[in-house]
Amino acid sequence: MGRRWAFRKLKINVMKNLLLVIIFLSSIFSIVNAQEKFITKSGEINFEASVPSFEEVKAKNNDVSAILTSNGEFASLALIKGFRFKVALMEEHFNENYAESSKYPKATFKGKVMAFDITGLSTDDKEYVVIGMVNMHGVDKKIETKALIRKVGGIIFLDTQFVLKPEDFNINIPNVVSSKIAEEIHISTSFELKGKL
Amino acid sequence: MKKQVKIVIALVFVSLGLYFAYNYMYQDHRDIKAEKAVVLIPASELISYFNENNSKKVLNKTVQVSGIITEINTKNIILDDKVQCSFDSVLKNLNLNETIIVKGRCIGFDELFEVVKMDQSSIIK
Repeated sequence: MGRRWAFRKLKINVMKNLLLVIIFLSSIFSIVNAQEKFITKSGEINFEASVPSFEEVKAKNNDVSAILTSNGEFASLALIKGFRFKVALMEEHFNENYAESSKYPKATFKGKVMAFDITGLSTDDKEYVVIGMVNMHGVDKKIETKALIRKVGGIIFLDTQFVLKPEDFNINIPNVVSSKIAEEIHISTSFELKGKL
Repeated sequence: MKKQVKIVIALVFVSLGLYFAYNYMYQDHRDIKAEKAVVLIPASELISYFNENNSKKVLNKTVQVSGIITEINTKNIILDDKVQCSFDSVLKNLNLNETIIVKGRCIGFDELFEVVKMDQSSIIK
């Protein structure tokens, strides 16, 4: 009788411990899962500030970094010197006079994809709202924009388009050239984010 | 006669002026491939310029780094996990763990991934 009781107790103890182990493992798994990251080091940002009938003001950066976590946190960093223009002199003026890329070498975005559900992604674009802070030329500016997100073969594609104004970032365009540069800068970004554990 | 000479001289000056103005406005891009590198160092050491606040020495300059390929993407490779070299064309015939020497323009330090980035790269060896 006593032996049987002891055995039963042992069994219960083993079960209890097993349960604890399962809870422990699953909590670790969910933490790891919560931090699942999708990254790129070669995202694309294009911007255009052209005025009709003048030389096009357009640049492209193909080396933009970005991280998207499965809970919707999104961070991106573009090196200003990585923006390349068709006209060399325009690139020089952009770096030296406007963006002052030696003093402010990077532009960043930090924010959140609202109501992001990684399991809800499909191969068709789905529209999300992205809210966050752009930092450029040493100035923070809150933005809200729409992003199209889809997932194909384990890669998350995230595309956005939004408008920024140089004056919001303390960038002054002198009167002489202000007629040739649009007041609103159209920015489009495109990221192919690959999963990383 | 004298008037005609004056007109010709004026025209020469105006066209010269236009020529130089045009050349100034539409000057060629830098040819990084043809430029001489300001530093020739192991890839893992390029980052030290940014840690020591010495980035002016390499930023926007042509640099040459050597290292082991730790990542290969369509248009860029990563050396020693520390330097990303981007190319203007799609890469082929490169293998992981291969030792390589690359020249390119240093465009800055990326805090997100803690890598120094280079663009307009070309393979030296």
